[in-house]
Amino acid sequence: MATDSVTLPNSASEEALLSDPALVKIRDLIYRISGIFHPDTKFYLLAGRCQRRMEALRTGSFADYFEHLTTRPNRDAEMRSLLNEITIGETYFFRSQASLDALSKIVLPKIVALPSKQGFKKLRVWSAGCSTGEEPYTLSILLLEQLSQKFNDWSFEIVATDLNDNSILKCREGLYGEYAVRNLSPQMRERYFAKERNLYRLKDEVRANVKFDRLNLQDQSKMLFMKGFDLILCCNVLIYFDGVAKKRTIDHFFNGLIPGGYLFLGECETLFGIYDQFRLVHFPGSTGYYKPLPGEVLGGSK
Amino acid sequence: MNPETTKFLQRKVAELGVLPAMPSVLQSLGELLSAAPSETDIDRIVELISYDKSLAAQCIRTANSAAFGRRIDVSTVREAVLALGIFRIRDLVYSCSLPKLFSGTQYGIAPTTFWCHALGTALVSQHLGERLAVENSEKLYLAGLLHDIGLVANALLFKEEFQRVLEKAQTSESPLCEVEAEVLGFTHCDSGRMLADIWRLPPDISAVIEHHHHPSPDDPDAEMECVVYLADLLCRLRSLGYGYYEARGFDLASEAPWRVLERKHPSAAKLDLARFTFELDEYATKVRQLVDSIFADGGAKQ
Repeated sequence: MATDSVTLPNSASEEALLSDPALVKIRDLIYRISGIFHPDTKFYLLAGRCQRRMEALRTGSFADYFEHLTTRPNRDAEMRSLLNEITIGETYFFRSQASLDALSKIVLPKIVALPSKQGFKKLRVWSAGCSTGEEPYTLSILLLEQLSQKFNDWSFEIVATDLNDNSILKCREGLYGEYAVRNLSPQMRERYFAKERNLYRLKDEVRANVKFDRLNLQDQSKMLFMKGFDLILCCNVLIYFDGVAKKRTIDHFFNGLIPGGYLFLGECETLFGIYDQFRLVHFPGSTGYYKPLPGEVLGGSK
Repeated sequence: MNPETTKFLQRKVAELGVLPAMPSVLQSLGELLSAAPSETDIDRIVELISYDKSLAAQCIRTANSAAFGRRIDVSTVREAVLALGIFRIRDLVYSCSLPKLFSGTQYGIAPTTFWCHALGTALVSQHLGERLAVENSEKLYLAGLLHDIGLVANALLFKEEFQRVLEKAQTSESPLCEVEAEVLGFTHCDSGRMLADIWRLPPDISAVIEHHHHPSPDDPDAEMECVVYLADLLCRLRSLGYGYYEARGFDLASEAPWRVLERKHPSAAKLDLARFTFELDEYATKVRQLVDSIFADGGAKQ
């Protein structure tokens, strides 16, 4: 769910935006509903997203748009559309090589060796905030390769969730442009994609183990069902949440992981001062969070 | 160090006689620069630095970049010494002179890679020491710079065996010192200690060289060893290692050296280790530039 890049506005227009009380109300509303908080420095981003919806509705002011979101009969649908605008992102396959190396070379062998995993040899992975599917499909390709090479009696399942309906549709379609596959070698493209004119369609082999679902990470009752994962990835999603929403989400992640499981966040995200039950683990070029086993004496290499 | 190992290493040095002596300029400068502040002989320091043209140029260059924003440009060695201060001049003199000491030798490790790690560890040790308010943190730079000097000794004394160590470490993705212990029966900590004695380095620096992989947590003086241990590890984890993948994850906060520092310095608990690590990536660029400029000045190339 990474956001696309935006050009920085000049400070004058930023000030003007901040002084619009309707936009502040929209921000608070979005925060209440999704836990996504736009600090003052991200206000222009929120304004841009609202303006796109306002154009579609032919609404002139933030005050009018606030009404669309709160008092009009179609307000729920409009809120969904706005959230879709806010969370849309652009990413690509095999984006964070350091994290993927840590996963395949360090984390995977550790999880496979856990005593609790010996009965039913299946890995369960959750990609929380999967955007348009590049992350869960990357994991699917990685696990297909790693398991067949090293642990061929193991199978896996990836649950990929996002708040954005359009992203989920795109995930299910499994059709990608040149940008998305730019990190893949010609051999990888050939192996896992079928070329359709200038697009790449993922082969069934990669799609078979990935299950997509729309999920709001702030939906407390649904989050309770997300259990028994060995690995959770949640990249650049928490940045939208304020302290309380972040803590609550991480708490669900912690409870959703098996002891000995790992949480991976975006490259520059940290849990310092937010949540202290995970152990921060440094890998070459990346970091992860480890859920200790009961009674495990901590220290040394993980 | 085991007395057998000491004897063996000493015999080897006597037989081969390939270990370089500390250059007399560095020796004199080292002594001058370590004098009590009231006895510092600036004239003699300036004179000694001026003998080495590339060192003089490096001092002036660094002083100018550190003096960025000041009105007066630094153009002489004297101005550079006054602008940077004695400690930074000492660190710079060692950083620029040591790589040249081994010019023309085959390390097995590329010299630029070796010195990037040494300088990176020096900078991170200093930075970490300052953040934690460690006493005598001005010594940490030199300790970091010299901590792995035993690797050079091993490369010179045991050329073929050391090449095997490097190859094995690379294929097994394990830390060098583990493979050294396995293949050679001792590590660069042992040979480094011997070189430190030959060079008559200050006892605290020699102790860091000997113990930086296994700081003794019970020793009240082990603080420097602990800082260098962590800085070395962080550099290896953030692209300033020995140029190969070490398939290890580290829970730094649970490592004994971190706990030693935490006990002594309450500020450690407030340090966001994940963020600290992300910040280190800036050092990588800085260090590479410095190493490139040292090697570009000639004399240090293989």
